[in-house]
Amino acid sequence: MDILTIRGLEKRFGDKKVLCGLDLTVPEGSIFGFVGRNGAGKTTTMKAVLGLMRPDGGEIFVAGERVSYGQTPTNRYIGYLPDVPEFYSFMTPREYLRLCGETMNMPRAEIEERSGELLELVGLGGERHRIRGFSRGMKQRLGIAQALLGQPKLLICDEPTSALDPIGRKEILDILLSVKDRTTVLFSTHILSDVERICTDAALLEGGRIAMQGSIEELKGIKRAESFKIEVLGGAETIAKAFPDAKAEPDGSIRFEGGEDKIFEVLDFIGKNRIPFSKIEREGASLESLFVEVAGK
Amino acid sequence: MRSFFAFFKKEILEFARSGKLTILGILFFAFGVMNPAIAKLTPWMMEMLSEELAQSGMTVTEVAVDALTSWTQFFKNIPMALIAFVLMTGGTFTKEYESGTLVLMLTRGLARYKVVLAKAAVLLTVWSAGYFICFGVTYAYNAYFWDNSIAIDLIPAVLNWWLFGVMTVALTVFFSVIANGYGGILCLTGGAVLAFYLASLIPKLTEYMPTTLMNGMNILVGAVDASDFNACAAITAVITVALIALSVPIFNKKQL
Repeated sequence: MDILTIRGLEKRFGDKKVLCGLDLTVPEGSIFGFVGRNGAGKTTTMKAVLGLMRPDGGEIFVAGERVSYGQTPTNRYIGYLPDVPEFYSFMTPREYLRLCGETMNMPRAEIEERSGELLELVGLGGERHRIRGFSRGMKQRLGIAQALLGQPKLLICDEPTSALDPIGRKEILDILLSVKDRTTVLFSTHILSDVERICTDAALLEGGRIAMQGSIEELKGIKRAESFKIEVLGGAETIAKAFPDAKAEPDGSIRFEGGEDKIFEVLDFIGKNRIPFSKIEREGASLESLFVEVAGK
Repeated sequence: MRSFFAFFKKEILEFARSGKLTILGILFFAFGVMNPAIAKLTPWMMEMLSEELAQSGMTVTEVAVDALTSWTQFFKNIPMALIAFVLMTGGTFTKEYESGTLVLMLTRGLARYKVVLAKAAVLLTVWSAGYFICFGVTYAYNAYFWDNSIAIDLIPAVLNWWLFGVMTVALTVFFSVIANGYGGILCLTGGAVLAFYLASLIPKLTEYMPTTLMNGMNILVGAVDASDFNACAAITAVITVALIALSVPIFNKKQL
């Protein structure tokens, strides 16, 4: 079953069309990476899902129910962590979670039990200070705790790792990975290594549409032109003569299209002619190269 | 209902921990003390000035001071307290718009109308508490020094002014869901009160304008009857309810 379905979503800001017919489905139980460059419309899409922004066209379904703008009952299925979460700074994390639980009409005992458990999970169990003095990473972690309090079916995180240092990023990713049995996670990012690290599925947002979507295995398995480049220290003309399809790159290296067979063919030639070189680089099957390829089109 | 009270409690906690509750408490108390104090000091001040006044041809006879002098001060000073109150509380919505704290509350299913009503209820509670502290202090001193019974229909006059304050609070709530900035809210609230005041200068409209409720002194000295303010009070109450009722649908559609 799909927890989130978006069909033909459109949004315009003045003359600028940010989303033009975005289609997206998030399968239940996945950790879904929502990838796109800065300003691609990731936050806009998420705000539309949360009913915080009125779309100009299209429809959104959360757990099979249609999302409405303004008053948004579907939000009871969703836990949300904004890119820069802001809390009532005069409260302690405990007090804040109590407020969250009470606004959701959770029973008192359950609030106490779950807040304790969640604060422990995000590493704020012993925190007695007010939120005022919290670091960005701490706020981000408290944000995950508040988002999970209502046992949501869908956890939406807007760039949860972007503003953090490497340790903070790892902590957040570990937490997201650890909750995957309880909820579906949808998180936006422009950091592809984060996606490769924890996601089961991903989609690339480019030009207001989803350019590519699927499970990580599917995406990595997509056949595409492989290539490699060699930095030679002379003898470039000899190579150019023997391989007319090779291209000279601006940085002085030579690029070849092709996979394993081609590499060995070129290496044979270099060996026979004793052409000195400093580096061979394969452009591997990473998500990064795939997305760069698609986004660059 | 529980989520409403949760948000109400949060608002009160915010007022308390930011120190605003203490400041407002001191302020209203101080205004309450000031009214009889000024009345009590008036004869002494006149005496100090009498020599100067005598030189310019005025003779100061004995100045009689009673509870009415103090109540005159009350009605003169309470507008300042209301202005201070609006200045201190006018940012209660905009602070949340700017920081984005409301988004997390609303995305977890807190109904928007509860936000509006809880904030309005807290402002109203704090205003009422402050106002009646000020009134109570003045009343107690007046009773001690003089005699409050010479003021005619004191309670209706005081309630009228309180009702005017309530409407001003409703105005700030209404403009808070329309405007996005603190400055805008203050300007619009001030502008609306000014508009009511200017309209009340037209004799035919005087008895219907909320600002007329501020003329409590006229009741106390018996210049007008308390019942003359009934229409005005009713209109003010209707405006107050309408402002709050309109705030809800507007806030429901507000982009946050």
